[in-house]
Amino acid sequence: MKRRPLYITLGICICILPFVANAYWIDVCVMIGLYALLSLSLNVMLGQAGIFNMGHAAFFAVGAYVTAILNTMYKWPVFWTMLPAGAIAALFAFMVALPIIHLRGDYLLIVTIGIVEIVRIALINDVFGLTGGSNGIFGISRPYFFGFKIVKGIQFYYLVWGMVAISMLLFYGLWKSRFGRALNCIKEDDIAAEGCGINVTGCKIMAFTLGAFWAGMAGTVYAAKMVTIAPESFNFMASVILFAVVILSGGSQVGVLVSVFLFIGLPEALREFSESRMMIFGLAMMLMMIWRPQGLLPCLPRQYPQARKDEG
Amino acid sequence: MFKFARVLAMAMFCVAVCGQAWAADIKIGLMCPLTGKWASEGLEMKNIVSLLVDETNARGGINGNKVQLVIEDDAGDPRTAALAAQKLASAGVVAAIGTYGSAVTEASQNIFDESEIVQIGTGSTSVRLTEKGMPLFFRTCPRDDAQGKSAANAIARGNFKKIALLHDNSSYAKGLADQTGQALEKAGIPVIFFDALTPGERDYTAILTKLKAADPDLVFYTGYYPETGMLLRQKKEMAWPVPMMGGDASNHQDLVKTAGKDAAAGYFFISPPLPQDLDSAEAAHFLESYKKAYSSTPVSIWGIMAGDAYKAIEAALAAGQTDSQKMGAWLKGMKDLPVLSGSLGFDAKGDRVGEFYRVYKVNKDGVFELQPAQVAQ
Repeated sequence: MKRRPLYITLGICICILPFVANAYWIDVCVMIGLYALLSLSLNVMLGQAGIFNMGHAAFFAVGAYVTAILNTMYKWPVFWTMLPAGAIAALFAFMVALPIIHLRGDYLLIVTIGIVEIVRIALINDVFGLTGGSNGIFGISRPYFFGFKIVKGIQFYYLVWGMVAISMLLFYGLWKSRFGRALNCIKEDDIAAEGCGINVTGCKIMAFTLGAFWAGMAGTVYAAKMVTIAPESFNFMASVILFAVVILSGGSQVGVLVSVFLFIGLPEALREFSESRMMIFGLAMMLMMIWRPQGLLPCLPRQYPQARKDEG
Repeated sequence: MFKFARVLAMAMFCVAVCGQAWAADIKIGLMCPLTGKWASEGLEMKNIVSLLVDETNARGGINGNKVQLVIEDDAGDPRTAALAAQKLASAGVVAAIGTYGSAVTEASQNIFDESEIVQIGTGSTSVRLTEKGMPLFFRTCPRDDAQGKSAANAIARGNFKKIALLHDNSSYAKGLADQTGQALEKAGIPVIFFDALTPGERDYTAILTKLKAADPDLVFYTGYYPETGMLLRQKKEMAWPVPMMGGDASNHQDLVKTAGKDAAAGYFFISPPLPQDLDSAEAAHFLESYKKAYSSTPVSIWGIMAGDAYKAIEAALAAGQTDSQKMGAWLKGMKDLPVLSGSLGFDAKGDRVGEFYRVYKVNKDGVFELQPAQVAQ
């Protein structure tokens, strides 16, 4: 409960920010919003269910490329491609998850690193002659939102942060649901979870697929914002950043927002230092990890109204 | 606490206002990969352009205005490049130089286009960048299809009549062979042989015998230097004196080691000139001051391209073109501006006109010699 002021301040800040920031900072915030969307989707796997996925950029890439291909080759409007982008990313995640989901912790981590590299190299090698090789795809059109064309940074800002808000609400519902409790249980101890009658493999695959679906939809927004996409954007480093965002957040949704501001905003704020900025950024991350090993804002313990009534 | 904050805010406001009042300077943006895998290229671009800016300012600036260089890091990544471009646009630059990598440049193109800022690409060779019809985009580097045209020109100048094209099925070598073939066809020079060899083998006598039967005037092998060296050596062993040429993938000293000095003598290839081989007066002066400033020589041609881009912007500003639309129009009409890598002009699409590739010939001692520049057509 004591976090409510923080939520409200953060919400108000995000709403009024475009009116005080210049075009550059609005664009930075659009990127932060996009990474927030991705991190929230990774949070379902990593933060809630403890599935060590360091290849989240692969699903992001699949979504972005589905949008780019459908839009440039088949002339689909960008927003129409959002569902197929999510669905194909989810299907891809489902297929790769089936044989590997039983792997534990670090083993799964290494396999997912392999997945993101395979996707990136396949994109560079112009797989099926669709992805345009290392130069990527260009000429993706701007999205229309009920007949209203989205071009400017400020329009993308509200689109992205609107999606973040909706995602947070939906993921909050997920967290409160039976499925969310099952995921938390699996994270703590999957043998105990199995013993409680939770279908561990099923739940893990579901969390994996759901997270990939959201990452695919984030890919659509990314493609629409950048107008051109290339394999370099979906490299291993992008996955590592997402992984680090979720680990540093501590697993709560607001924690994800705060840490995504740090991870994407800080390198931009440090631009003055040009070459050494990544060094300062890395040092800041290390200090934060030492300062708060449990994460910035870990999830508060669950409260059950029935239990509280019984106590009182 | 609040008082302190207020004083701080006032101070920052003053600095911001004064900063703007003093900033009668002309701001030119440079976007380059200072971090990431292409950091060495980016650092050289930064060094070269800063050096040229310092020289301009030491001369008293452009028409009395000092030049201020705003450098942003694009990290060789499209996402960061888009933000770097937005940052340059917000900083109010009149023109931007950069950047390295076609996909990275492409991510910034729209932002500069929407903000109406002249952009001059430096290491972005993908054909499609200038095919979009953006009025304010230029580049000082050649396009991917320029090497084929240059090769065809070199062949035409050498008065060869029957050409054999040989490649190794790699996408680079096959592309170059295809483009050269098309350009030769346009020039009316017949290609009598077109085939591929398998790279990595030790014995190419079979393909050489086949080539000899076709009886060409010139063999153009578009692949890499190890196979070129083997071909030269075995051609010599067969005592077949036909001249051979190559593309920029054969620009490597190991070629002479593989072939031997006798077999390699007379072999020629087209390649972008190396920085130390640049022979214009501008370049000689530049190389000297670069050595003085950084006690080394520039290693890559792409940094030189950034220097060329700055020279073009400087010339446009010196001609009084401060408005971006007018500057774009002026640059399109510009011809034969002396820059570091020779003379520079742009066509209607914003591509560099004139020959950028130069012919290198191997002499008797196995040294690559740059041939004198041909008149641009």
